[in-house]
Amino acid sequence: MIYTLLQHQWKSFWRSRATGRNVAMQIFIGFIVLYLTAVAILLGFSLDKILSGSFPGKDIVRIFFGFILYYYAFDIIIRFILQDLPTLAVQPYLTQNIKRNKLVQFLNIRSLFSIFSLLPLFLFLPFIIRVIGAKYGVMVSLSLVICIFSLTFFNHFLVLFIKRKTILNQWWLIGFFMAILLLAAADYFQIFSLRNWSADLFSTVIKIPALCFIFIAFAIAALYNNSKFLRNNFYLENLEKSSGEKRSAEFSWLQRFGVYGDLMGLDLKLILRNKRPRSLMLLSVIFLFYGYFFFKPENIQGNNLAILLVGSIFITGMFMVSYGKFLFAWQSNHFDGLMASNMNVKTYIKSKLILLTSFSTVAFFVSLLYVLISWKLFPILLAAWLFNIGIHSILTVFIGTLNYKAIDLSKGSSFNYEGMGVAQWIYSFMILVVGAAIYLPFALLFNSWAGIAAIGILGLISFLMQDWWLDKLTLQFANHKYKMLQGFREK
Amino acid sequence: MITINNLVKSYNGKVAVDIPHLEIDKGIIGLVGNNGAGKTTLFRLLLDLVKADRGEVVSNENAVSKNEDWKSYTAAYIDEGFLIPYLTPEEYFYFVGKLNNRSKADVDEMLSDLTIFFDGSILKSGKYIRDLSKGNQFKVGIAACLLQNPEMMILDEPFANLDPSSQIRLIHMIKELNEKKHVNILVSSHDLNNITDVCTRILLMEKGVIIKDIQTSSATLNELEDYFRA
Repeated sequence: MIYTLLQHQWKSFWRSRATGRNVAMQIFIGFIVLYLTAVAILLGFSLDKILSGSFPGKDIVRIFFGFILYYYAFDIIIRFILQDLPTLAVQPYLTQNIKRNKLVQFLNIRSLFSIFSLLPLFLFLPFIIRVIGAKYGVMVSLSLVICIFSLTFFNHFLVLFIKRKTILNQWWLIGFFMAILLLAAADYFQIFSLRNWSADLFSTVIKIPALCFIFIAFAIAALYNNSKFLRNNFYLENLEKSSGEKRSAEFSWLQRFGVYGDLMGLDLKLILRNKRPRSLMLLSVIFLFYGYFFFKPENIQGNNLAILLVGSIFITGMFMVSYGKFLFAWQSNHFDGLMASNMNVKTYIKSKLILLTSFSTVAFFVSLLYVLISWKLFPILLAAWLFNIGIHSILTVFIGTLNYKAIDLSKGSSFNYEGMGVAQWIYSFMILVVGAAIYLPFALLFNSWAGIAAIGILGLISFLMQDWWLDKLTLQFANHKYKMLQGFREK
Repeated sequence: MITINNLVKSYNGKVAVDIPHLEIDKGIIGLVGNNGAGKTTLFRLLLDLVKADRGEVVSNENAVSKNEDWKSYTAAYIDEGFLIPYLTPEEYFYFVGKLNNRSKADVDEMLSDLTIFFDGSILKSGKYIRDLSKGNQFKVGIAACLLQNPEMMILDEPFANLDPSSQIRLIHMIKELNEKKHVNILVSSHDLNNITDVCTRILLMEKGVIIKDIQTSSATLNELEDYFRA
């Protein structure tokens, strides 16, 4: 029975409108998955060399053990944000003659089909089998393999449980993040060291392989707990929708923008009240920390301005990219209504421009904290911000009018390629090309700072011309309106 | 009010709408026809949501595809695509009100007239529009049309999802709007009893063509029933 249900899921994946209509997209997803898998396997097989290379003279097994719990701690956070709850999958079966226990089992098994279940196996198993197996024998490595499997299962079902709980009760969400923050802080301030802890734990497993049964017990406990929770809350309204009462909200601070404020309020509510845009924006917040990646001392002292600029554009434009790549498509399921309502196209477009500009401005102010690293970053961040509000925003609206693919707001975000099309790829590409086209000539003719100045000044000029752009974009929108309307209606 | 000239729209070579000339003016005008007759496509053409292959729709002397003035006096509800699913009904009403320059107090006052129609399940329901039933979503859509204080109102199959009490109330409301506020209403339906009861003029559509244009009389219901039985 469960096999039949899983078969239905397989069909639903391949026959879903989002995947089915676009062969190129299927091939692309296939490549991405293959690539990620290959990278993970490669990493797994070369882990011993990487470790002995980066930590010469140390016991690489102990260092490896130190990483394991770290990985699973991050795993919990990433899973929490990205992992979907496959609950609606049971809807058609609720009234059929299938026992509730079977459906719970089906949900549990169905949820395991996720990249997160595979990654740790690829990463850890090669090392355990090749290095530890050779050194400590079969029993020890077998025991460790069992530990890895158990930990993966434990995390998986723990996150499912916590996520379902947070849907029912917002306090779980706050509690979850507080716990994560506390743990991270305790580790950061060296109140305790997760790495030492992890290393000690698995070193003990080497000595006493039978300890793996404790790991199994934890995994089973997580599975049991999740199943019990599912059995007791097996009603659609409990599974999918939060039972809390929905209240009207008003963003009174938006009122000063008049009707633009109302339209922006609409966009903000769209983001806050729907799964996919909400998790995308949450991810963008995390990307704000990407600065540490780009703004390394060697880049700042070595005047690698191009890299600093790319980083700055990325940070100040992240929100814009996340929301802007589906600018109009987010509203696809009520686009008919918007277009027939008493609002002219120009007003609508202008509200989008103001929204994108505000996103970038907020990110810019947050990013100013990076100036603490070096004053050099200030002019670069400023130029990047001007580029984003002056040029990037216009491009975003322009490319938005070329996007005719509908988006279902209720679906989750991870590995959700619905609504992705050529327009999105052009979009990411265009920003880079346009940025490089402005920066490079000046950087090569004069010096890198001239390139930065060109980016900033052209951005500012373009921003001051916004009204002129607005007329052009309105015309562009009017020309593509019917295609968008038709595309958005085909769900 | 609305004039249609040589309007043609086809999908993949199949004609969806083909109307050489039609005047839609005063009164309550009904549109009937089997599924696929082109009723909804015609409505979308009137609202400039679909691009015509040929011809034009003229509303108060301006082509709807060239000039946006019609939006200020035309209100429509065709399907859930006209509602914003992640808003509460109140938020949606205030939003529509704002687009039509109505203050919150105005909107509240207009909504209080609809208390009976809402039957206690729309306002303060603690739900987003996406969580309402189909029928209640329809009520929200119709109420949003009324809020706009339109001169022209377009409703696609408004009776289909409503319970009997609400159907009767809606018929009463439509008649009253036309009599007291002189709102012109274009409405489609599969319910021949309702449509002959409420409309002063009925258009019968078949394969994109208006094949009958009837001033409603006591014989109309039989005439329509004969057509659909055949």
